[in-house]
Amino acid sequence: MVAPDAVSEEDIDKLIIPDELPDEPTFKAYIEAKVYDKEGHIIQYHKQPMRSLTQYFLALMSIPLIGTFQGSSNYTATGILTNTLGLPSQVSVYAYTPNISWQWSIQVGSGTQTFSPTLNSLAAPIPNGTAVGDLLYGAIGVTYTATAIYIVESVSNNTGNTINVTEIGLQCTIYLQYQNPSNVYAVNTYNFLLSYDTFSTAISIPAGGMAAFQIVISFTG
Amino acid sequence: MIVGEEVKDINVKVPEDSYDTGKYMPTFSAYIIAIVRDSMGRVINVHRQRSHSPTANFMGLFLPLNWYGSSSNSFTLTNATGGTYKYTPSLGQFAMNITYPSVDGYPTYLIGIQVGSGQQTNTFNVHNLADPIANGSGVGQLVYGSPSVSTGVSVSGSSAYIYIMQTFTNQSGGAISVTELGIMVAVQTGEASWGSTTNCGNLLVWYDVLSSPISVPNGGSVTIYYTFTVNP
Repeated sequence: MVAPDAVSEEDIDKLIIPDELPDEPTFKAYIEAKVYDKEGHIIQYHKQPMRSLTQYFLALMSIPLIGTFQGSSNYTATGILTNTLGLPSQVSVYAYTPNISWQWSIQVGSGTQTFSPTLNSLAAPIPNGTAVGDLLYGAIGVTYTATAIYIVESVSNNTGNTINVTEIGLQCTIYLQYQNPSNVYAVNTYNFLLSYDTFSTAISIPAGGMAAFQIVISFTG
Repeated sequence: MIVGEEVKDINVKVPEDSYDTGKYMPTFSAYIIAIVRDSMGRVINVHRQRSHSPTANFMGLFLPLNWYGSSSNSFTLTNATGGTYKYTPSLGQFAMNITYPSVDGYPTYLIGIQVGSGQQTNTFNVHNLADPIANGSGVGQLVYGSPSVSTGVSVSGSSAYIYIMQTFTNQSGGAISVTELGIMVAVQTGEASWGSTTNCGNLLVWYDVLSSPISVPNGGSVTIYYTFTVNP
C-alpha cells in the first residue's frame, strides 16, 4: 500500500486499533459451571464464552509485557501500574528490594450490572458462609497447559435454600512485599476485578448441593 | 441440562462451539501496526496484522501464585542468550518475586521491541529472534529509538487498550527487510527482607512473524505499535 501524502498523527492514533482484521483471534476464554445435587449427581452444566475483561486485566498483563520500572535507571513504577492500578510509584523501604506477585480467585454473585472496563466488583457478591444467601467457597485451583490457564472454584450451598448465581468475576489480589522503614517485613494488598460476566442462564444451586465454576483463558499462540 | 450423568472430558480444551450467540466476539486481541516512512518522512506503507504469540516466558511470568503454590510448581524462564532461571514466586520474607521500584533497586523493565530478518515457527518456545537486526548504522542494521508505552490503560466505552511503540531508522545505506519482531523485557527477582536478587536477563515475552516482510528504505524509518486491547 502506498500513500503519497503523510498520514496525520490523528489518523495514526486510529490505526493502532484496527476495526477488522482477518485471521484467528489471539485469545479465547470461556466460563463453565457444573452443578451437583446433594447426592453428587450433575444436574446442570453450562458453558459460555467470557466476554468482558476489564482494564485491570490489561494492567496485570503489562507486568510481564513491560515490567514494573519505567527504565533501567528510572526507579519509578510504570504509568499503567500507578495510574490504572493505583500502586505506588516507589515503595519506601529500610533496605533490600520490594517485590510484586498476585493471586486469582473467582467470585460469584446474584445481581447483574452493565459492563464497564472500570468495573471493580460484582453487583451483588455472594458472601462466603453458611447463612441465608451465602455460599461456602472452597479452595481455588489453578492449572496450566501451554497457552491456557484454568481457574476452578467450588462452592457449596449449606443454607437450606436454593441459591441462584447470575454473575461471575475473576478477581486478583496483588501483593507488594517489602522491608518497611522500621525494618519490619510488610505486605500491601490491592484487589481488582479482571473479568466480569453475567450468565446467559442463571446457575441454580440447590440446598445441600454444590457447583464448580471454571474460567479458562487461552492465548491461542 | 444433564441429569444424573457425569459429563466426560469437559476440562480438556477450549470448546470451539461454546458460543451462546451466533457471533463470536473475542474478548482480547493484540495487533501489530507498522508505519513505514521514506527519507522525506512520507508514509509509504502501513502494515497491520493480528499478533498471536505470547511466549512461554510470558505465561510463566503471568501465572498467579495459586499455580506456583498449589503443588510447588516452578517455571523455567529462558533468556535471550539461552540462560535459564527457575522462577518460583511466593508469599513471605524470602520469596523471590519480580522486583518493584524503591529509591534504588534492581529494575525489571522494558528493553523494547526487537526486530529481525529471520523467522521461526515454534513461536511459543522461542527465547530470541531467529535473526535479530542489530542496533546501529552499519550494513544490515537499524537505529533503535527508545520505546514508548501507554501511561495508563485507555478506556473507550466497553473497550480498553495499552500499546508499546518504537521507531527504527535505517541509516545503513540500503533497504532493510523486517520479517519478525518481539517484545523483550529485563527481569530481576528479589527477596523483600533479605536482599538476595537474581538477574534473569533479557526475556522475550512476545513474538510474531510478520505476514509479509516490511521493507525499510535507506534513510527511512518504521514505527511499530504493539496494541493490546480488551473487548475490541
